[in-house]
Amino acid sequence: MMSRMDWRDVLGRGLELVRKELLQLWRDRVLILFLLYVFTVDIYLAGSGLSFSLHNATIAVMDQDMSHASRELASRFQPPEFQRVAAPGDPRAAQQLLDTGRSMVVMQIPPRFQADLGAGRQAAVQYLVDSSNSVLGLLAGSHAAEIVGRYNLEQGAARLAATGAGGRLPGVDNAQRALFNANQNEAWFMGIAELLMLVTVFAIILPAVAAVREKERGTIEQLLVSPLRPLEILLPKVLAMTLVILAGVTLAIALVLRGVFDVPIRGSLPLFYAISALYVFTTSGIGLLLATIARNLAQVGMLAIMVLAPMMFLSGMWTPPEALATPVRVLMAVSPMHYYIDAGFGVLLKGMTLAELAQPLLAMALLGALAFGAGLARFRRQFA
Amino acid sequence: MKLVRAMVVARKEWQEIRRDRLFLALCLVVPVVLMLLFGYGLSLDVENIPFAVVDHDDTPASRDYASHFSDSRYFDFRGRLADEGAIDRLVAANALRAVLVIPPGFGRDLAAGRSVRVQTVIDGTFPVRAMTMRGYVLAINAQASTGIALEWARAATGADERSLAALAQPVRLETRNLYNQPLRSVWSMAPKLIMVILMIAPPFLTVLGVVREKESGSIFNIYASTVSKAEFLLGKLVPYVVISLFNALLLFLLARYLFGAPFKGDPLFFALATAMYVVCTTGIGLVISVLVRTQTAAMVVVAIVTVVPAALYSGAIIPIESLSPAAAGVAHLLPAMYYAQVATGSFLKGVGWPVLWPNLLVLAGYAALLMAAGYLLFSKRPRT
Amino acid sequence: MAVAPAGEAVVRLRGLLKRYAARVAVDGVDLCVQRGRMHGLIGPDGAGKSSLMKIVAGVLTHDGGTVEVFGQAIASERDAERVKQRIGLMPQGLGQNLYAELSIEENIDFFARLRGVDEQALAARKRQLLAMTRLERFRDRPMKKLSGGMKQKLGLVCTLIHEPELIILDEPTTGVDPVSRRDFWAILDELVSVRGLTALVSTAYMDEAARFATATMMLGGRVLAEGTPAELLAALPATVVSVKCREQVEAQRRLGASFRDTILRGPWLRTVVDAVPGEDAPARARSAEARVREALAGLAIEALDVDAPDLEDLFIARAASAGVAAARFAPAPAPAKRMERTHAPDYNAIEARGLVRQFGDFRAVDQVSFTVKPGEIFGLLGANGAGKTTVIKMLNGIQPPNAGSGAVAGADMIRAPGQIKRRIGYMSQAFSLYLDMTVRENLRLFAAIYGVPRARRDERVRELMRLCDIEGIEDMLAGDLPMGRRQRLALACALVHEPEVVFLDEPTSGVDPVGRRRFWDILFRLARHEGVALLITTHYMSEAEQCDHISLLYAGRVVADASPEQLKAELAGRRGELWAFDTPTPQATVKALQAAGFAGASLYGTAVHVLDPDGATLPARVAGVLAPLGLQAGPPHRRPLTMEDVFVERVLELEREAAQ
Repeated sequence: MMSRMDWRDVLGRGLELVRKELLQLWRDRVLILFLLYVFTVDIYLAGSGLSFSLHNATIAVMDQDMSHASRELASRFQPPEFQRVAAPGDPRAAQQLLDTGRSMVVMQIPPRFQADLGAGRQAAVQYLVDSSNSVLGLLAGSHAAEIVGRYNLEQGAARLAATGAGGRLPGVDNAQRALFNANQNEAWFMGIAELLMLVTVFAIILPAVAAVREKERGTIEQLLVSPLRPLEILLPKVLAMTLVILAGVTLAIALVLRGVFDVPIRGSLPLFYAISALYVFTTSGIGLLLATIARNLAQVGMLAIMVLAPMMFLSGMWTPPEALATPVRVLMAVSPMHYYIDAGFGVLLKGMTLAELAQPLLAMALLGALAFGAGLARFRRQFA
Repeated sequence: MKLVRAMVVARKEWQEIRRDRLFLALCLVVPVVLMLLFGYGLSLDVENIPFAVVDHDDTPASRDYASHFSDSRYFDFRGRLADEGAIDRLVAANALRAVLVIPPGFGRDLAAGRSVRVQTVIDGTFPVRAMTMRGYVLAINAQASTGIALEWARAATGADERSLAALAQPVRLETRNLYNQPLRSVWSMAPKLIMVILMIAPPFLTVLGVVREKESGSIFNIYASTVSKAEFLLGKLVPYVVISLFNALLLFLLARYLFGAPFKGDPLFFALATAMYVVCTTGIGLVISVLVRTQTAAMVVVAIVTVVPAALYSGAIIPIESLSPAAAGVAHLLPAMYYAQVATGSFLKGVGWPVLWPNLLVLAGYAALLMAAGYLLFSKRPRT
Repeated sequence: MAVAPAGEAVVRLRGLLKRYAARVAVDGVDLCVQRGRMHGLIGPDGAGKSSLMKIVAGVLTHDGGTVEVFGQAIASERDAERVKQRIGLMPQGLGQNLYAELSIEENIDFFARLRGVDEQALAARKRQLLAMTRLERFRDRPMKKLSGGMKQKLGLVCTLIHEPELIILDEPTTGVDPVSRRDFWAILDELVSVRGLTALVSTAYMDEAARFATATMMLGGRVLAEGTPAELLAALPATVVSVKCREQVEAQRRLGASFRDTILRGPWLRTVVDAVPGEDAPARARSAEARVREALAGLAIEALDVDAPDLEDLFIARAASAGVAAARFAPAPAPAKRMERTHAPDYNAIEARGLVRQFGDFRAVDQVSFTVKPGEIFGLLGANGAGKTTVIKMLNGIQPPNAGSGAVAGADMIRAPGQIKRRIGYMSQAFSLYLDMTVRENLRLFAAIYGVPRARRDERVRELMRLCDIEGIEDMLAGDLPMGRRQRLALACALVHEPEVVFLDEPTSGVDPVGRRRFWDILFRLARHEGVALLITTHYMSEAEQCDHISLLYAGRVVADASPEQLKAELAGRRGELWAFDTPTPQATVKALQAAGFAGASLYGTAVHVLDPDGATLPARVAGVLAPLGLQAGPPHRRPLTMEDVFVERVLELEREAAQ
């Protein structure tokens, strides 16, 4: 009998097992459709129509002066940031507009506004912001400050000219330049973010499902009595799933990120693939760990939710590490996804190179290796 | 319909839930964990932004201007850079997120009464953060700019403080942030998180509970018995509604006491609307579970049907007005938006019956519709 | 509720049709179940039994024909609701309809309250049913911790708790060991005869058909045959001739060429000889014997026995005449090449010496020893949980023993588990294949796993498909194959690397008799032609008869170790022969005989079986017990002892010992 096998046989055996995993996945039409859906439609949904900026914020102007000057000031609140809605008749109506959410901002221009300005007095304008959404509240306030600041520069300069001290008033115009995403196209961010998130989700779920399915159907027994070693059973699964996820990534980049959202891929795509492959491969250890705990597919789903939710919110995608409390920051540092997000955005959007990404990649590889080692060890203990 | 018989089903369901540790954990722990993670991890407050200055002017005026930024609690001053060359790299590596660039002649131009342009380079990778930084920069610059104008006017005219203010700042904007005065993002998020979690968790529990019975075959006990459809469905759903209501209470307490979000509204109204919403989302679970066969398929469908709408079409992140008309239309068709308004209204705005009664009506209609659909689709004598 | 007189039809089906998408599951079945009878549905997986039963229970729609239950035509959900209170359904799958997390009592309470049984009645019935099923002691045990037999009894209790008039039990005994099965039937018999219950019961075990008042044999959605077991058997004009012959391989080849159905039973060859039309019964036996002797002319016949066919023979005969091609067994082809395995005479393919396996406080396997020679078929029998699977796992090198030693295929269990894995084949219960892959893909995969060189792979796959009789279906998905072929494919997968030893853990559960015979045909070829040692576990006692050598496990210990013949002879010596007599009052008779201490008194339809050493005085002693009670019994007929008798008697004895 075959007592010793050379490396070519081992390799051939491994490839046959990879082929088997791919074949089984291919026959699972529901899963294939779901993969297609998430790597195209889902990313499209996440990226399109989403806007974090102040966009069409409703503003109701309660103009108690009805003068040329008041209308001129009000007219400076323009789209795209603002949109004007019907003016309230009295303060009660104004409050109601805010309460019902029909208007986000109420601006009250006092009577005698034009007269005060003409007389060189200071006029106070009330600006009430619905800040129940804190980010938008902040932005509505800041934009108003900027608009009124400009208005003041012009008005002040005119007054100064009238006093005979020259027609100028100095001011600072602070132009902002957003690096990597000049037009602050949210689709770029959301598209990439969703892609990186999906890669994580499937890196954990697919190997877990593949392993638990063998457990559920009893085929794992058949593999265990064969001369395959635990690593030889698990490795092909992980490899096959890595291939599938990379195919999904290709689909997403070609059809959605590039095709629809015009994301400029600034870095090297091969580098991104290599990073993703490394990430998927190592993170799958978490999935294998789940598979050793769960008895069936439903339990895998539940466990995956419990693991993925924290990973996602500690990925640094929504909140930068510097804004977090120290203990949370420690948690973040041990989440491999955090490094993958850094590297993913780094390559795709920032055009960073391998050398520049050495640090996060090293951390990612290290954490991943730990996860994979843990998954393998538990699997070995459970079955062998 | 006999209530007693429905209670028999409910009691059995509760016994099963109580003994399945993993499931019980999913029921009670996951919503709370999600709330904590979202609450702590999804903080949109951007503070301690790593910040640097490139000061080509290096005059007292330029240093004074820059100090407005570096002294604020939003920016964490990391030092000065000699020139712009290193900015891109440092921002890419997350070492810096904002850099102020002051051109040569800054002090001279201001002294001459000329307006000057400076530039702030910000990290545009993550649009929410970029937006927030943009808001801070606008606000700080408006303040600094006003100060400079005031200084200049003082020097030019020698007028008294009052007329100086009128001169340099003819219009004073008095901004009031209603509902969330400190602009705390966790206050904004907490009520909406209740909406999101109650959108996702109840359908999940319901489908797992109902489909589990279908998958194992124990549903045949129900089919074969004389328990009526209404009795069975009522008994089956009551435990999940109760668990979800208990979760709602926990989430409310977390939002109120851990995150300190103010609750200004009518508790009774909020409780009623929450109950209605939970019945709605449980109903979504019911309809899905009648239609699918396996637990895995059930989880996939629930994920697709609830997660995306809860996040994107509910007004949780993006206000409905900022959505595209099509997306806004979708939002109006789903219950999430109506409940999001109730949650925000009850917590932050302190509005209740008079303003939000239509929302309650919509939710009740929704609940009735879903339950009726579940009832009609469920058959005790199916085709397969 | 008015009880209708016995004999009236409780269920009446006419031309029943059920389709799932394109597949026809029930194809024009007419059936009548009479009140107070135990009506059996017998047939393999996919025969349409489950669909039929669900339709009768009103939990599945049908596509054609009419269904009448208690005189109510069932055509809609509303119709079905009207009769559901009078029906109890126990769906297929051991314990599948019970709630795993709930205790025995909680399960019963749920079923009762769901049916609106009032608390007083519930308490009384629960006490009675728990006592009857001897589950009383385990009241608080969660269902998931029950053994297969206990789950099945609990399922029955739950089905009965609302006192239905008609109970529908779908394969209640599949996957349950013979002792629990016999227990189950005793309970069911009592319910039907004492309480006047009507039962519609399905089973995949042919030997259980003898227990039904009326049996309907189904195959492919149609009815093959129907009647009382006696009627059914009378309708098969055939004789079973068993011969013992030293040149067994040659004898089998010749018999296979001359007769429809020949199978090995240890040293015996068992042939079904169809009668020549017009022969009467005695002539039939004589001519069958003569024809067998003629076919074996020139070979030395050591022994020859003539017997009547059993229900399994009947099923196969009916399937053959219904056009099931697989039911005609071609003569075994001569081995392609004779495997030359030369071993020392004392070489054992499997050797277990004092194996022990401990799980916490629980000793799953206790000092288990046995040996299996090359070319031998070894049966490892035992109730669920007796330790069979653990023994196999230890021998396979998956689980190390806590004590003891052993060798498999010449490799030491402790020192070289890796070598064992390369030299053995393993086929596990029911699902050991990738159902979403084709036949060829499965075979190629296992060939690669076992390191069959690439160059030889295709050839080996072809060989296996021929050996296991799965040619022509290479590109079908394993999941689309009928049970029998699927199991043969699984066997082929276990053989890719030409192992010396093959382990088969309940390889045939759920397979119909035709499929099982084909499967065993292959096993014999492997053992007799290629010298492969086979270790097999099974709950089919008819299969146990076919083993060369048997070990019976009880609570982790080997309690019997001999050939089936020796075991039966030993039982006969200790307890006597098996006697059957007909009686018009079976239930009362069996009770009276059990009370009087007759060994192994048990009910088979209208017949009662007892074990007794003295056939001559038996009628008088039986009459002595029955006459005072006003009961009668016909004259006893001697029946051959079966492995089921051996198994059940031995286990019951041990249980009695353990109880003391």
